[in-house]
Amino acid sequence: MDDDFSSRRESPPPPHVVGVSLCDSAPLLWRVEDLRSVRAQGLVGALLGSLPRTPRQNGRLGRPLLLLPEEERLLRERQTAAALPARRQDGGGAELVVQVEQQQEEEQQRSYEEQSILALEDRKSALLRAMTSSHSGSGTGTEASDEALRGRLEDLDRSFTFPQSALAVQLSTARAGLSYCPEARAFLQADWPIREQHDRSWDARYQVFRDLRGRGFYLTSAGKFGGDFLVYPGDPLRFHAHFIAICSSLDESVCVLDVLSAARLGSNVKKTVLLCSPGTDGRILYTSLQWSGMV
Amino acid sequence: MRRILSVLFSCRGNLVKATWLQSEQIVELQSPAGKFWQTMGFSANGKQNLLPEEALYLMECGNLQVFYQNLPLSIQDGYEKFLSSSTVSLQQYQVFAHLKRLGYVVHRFDPSLEPSSYARQLNLPQSRDRAVKQLKRKRSASPTATSSHTEVQETPTADRMEEDECGRDGEEDKKPPESPLTASAGTAAASSDEGGGRTWWMTDDLGERSDHKPASGRSRWHFSSIPFPDLGSRGSSSSCLVPPDSSLLPGSVAVGVCDIAPWRRRINLREVKMSSKERRREEDKRRRRWDINRDREVRRCRNWAEYRELLARREGRPKGRPAHLWNREVTPLHDPRQPIPTKELLDKLSVIKSTHLLEEASSIKGSDEWRICFNVYQPDTVADFKKSNPGKPYSRMCVCSFDGPVPDLRAIKLLTYQSGDVPVVLAVVDHGDISFYTFKDFHLPTDVFS
Repeated sequence: MDDDFSSRRESPPPPHVVGVSLCDSAPLLWRVEDLRSVRAQGLVGALLGSLPRTPRQNGRLGRPLLLLPEEERLLRERQTAAALPARRQDGGGAELVVQVEQQQEEEQQRSYEEQSILALEDRKSALLRAMTSSHSGSGTGTEASDEALRGRLEDLDRSFTFPQSALAVQLSTARAGLSYCPEARAFLQADWPIREQHDRSWDARYQVFRDLRGRGFYLTSAGKFGGDFLVYPGDPLRFHAHFIAICSSLDESVCVLDVLSAARLGSNVKKTVLLCSPGTDGRILYTSLQWSGMV
Repeated sequence: MRRILSVLFSCRGNLVKATWLQSEQIVELQSPAGKFWQTMGFSANGKQNLLPEEALYLMECGNLQVFYQNLPLSIQDGYEKFLSSSTVSLQQYQVFAHLKRLGYVVHRFDPSLEPSSYARQLNLPQSRDRAVKQLKRKRSASPTATSSHTEVQETPTADRMEEDECGRDGEEDKKPPESPLTASAGTAAASSDEGGGRTWWMTDDLGERSDHKPASGRSRWHFSSIPFPDLGSRGSSSSCLVPPDSSLLPGSVAVGVCDIAPWRRRINLREVKMSSKERRREEDKRRRRWDINRDREVRRCRNWAEYRELLARREGRPKGRPAHLWNREVTPLHDPRQPIPTKELLDKLSVIKSTHLLEEASSIKGSDEWRICFNVYQPDTVADFKKSNPGKPYSRMCVCSFDGPVPDLRAIKLLTYQSGDVPVVLAVVDHGDISFYTFKDFHLPTDVFS
């Protein structure tokens, strides 16, 4: 019975593999589908670049997305991330270069034609609006005005040229050219550069990150709050953080002043401080600090 | 998500074309620069050039299209190519772009272009002069009247015994001696070769003799072990004195038993009847009577010269300078008899001297870890900003991260020294968030009304 069911059931589609590119040894995501997939997995990251529509502001930033080292490690463990190969220096040979250049030119031409049609239509509608609004007041000689309008439109058709300088050029954010299919995953993974830090503190942080993510929390970095992670009950765009997580190993002794300063910080920003340590049996131990005041 | 997905489009007319020169790691413009040329870029080899971080920022704004090997670079390519350890790191670019987006003018910091400390000195106002220096206390070993101390150490037990004797007489008064020595004290100070080794008069109870003294080399007499006969007190019972040891007598003198009965008859053993006033006076006198021998310092004097020295020391000094404070290695900071304004006294008292950040900063060697990256100029100066003469920057940036160490005093001194009189701001990068910190000199106020 079970076998029948399993054979009839379709194999689930392989999970989307995001391509991670390294810039100055920092993991960055550039492609939109990668960002979407990563967010769907509950990993937030941080946007670094200027927003294309409004570049001169710091409120909302655009691609690339910088991943936390814990996020990168989690993706790798789930086998949903792979390193993107760097742009080829030599261009892949003279033939390839010529090919790519040709492609570029064709694209430009196509874009030019499209845009010129759109521009012409734009001008016509603007003219119509201008003509009708100016004649609506007088209301006399409608036939004559229609003639004039048609004449003007025909003139426009004939003489309109869309200048090259007005052509809108797309500056691509992500590098084009890597088309991808699941078979490419294996090839990509082999390229992964080894940048592991065998730090005990880093290990503790990763354990805590994985556990909290597994419980459905969203985590971002919390350097400004004096902790390791900010813990959100849902997507950060919808909620404020509830906790500040500070990770340490169990046998590490903690100075009372450090605990005090962490508690003070947490109470000032109205968040609960979580002291997290990976326990011996694989579970994580959490201790929360809340400022209760004098009773 | 829509906004993240938006794509960068730019009008070709506004777009400046440039090429990336990999070997020199700069961007060369192929078409005339736009408005950004006022604050960014430099001229070299007859062409206009841009630094990699400036080019990347302009690419992100949509003002520049950079070609490499005849193909346009995407922003991803720009990040991967332009940012490296030899140009500008990713964290430094984050700070650069953050400030540029806010409108500041940001240039790379070049320590060789800064005026030297001497040049700065010529322009700076007079620095604060520390007129009052801390007094250095002389720590030479001042000779005090303690030379007799060492000898005293040999006889701790004997001293204790003497003190016990004195203690039994009554409470000790700490008054200095008003009159010079009595005869008994003089003989006490005399160093005689014959120690109190033998008793001159024997009494019935020989148990009082002390055995604590060595036979030879004693410079004191131990009067507790020399029993002088008490013929005057009414309580003594013996009526005759035992003859002394024949070894003590010269020649063949022989002394028999001495009968003290007639002597006792002759002395007035009647009790004096005193009025209450007289009794009280006697009590006071007795209480106030200060036995010179109870003074330890007097006992330490071995001869008249030392005693006179002691007297001189005690009487000669004026009031307000007690010996125990002024005659030692460590003396008080200030003589209370000398007038001094409060401010100077507070300066004398300053145990921890206050310092300022640039003290001894010139001797600190540079380090790779902490260095100034950028000069930052204010946005409202953009209108008349001249690249050839930018003037004094608003602040200087040093980029670090929360993962790295906190700057110690040495690093802060180094950065402040390199920067001169421009404040240094530490830009701490934390995964997309940037926090700015700065250290300022602060002087504790002295609460003085003068």
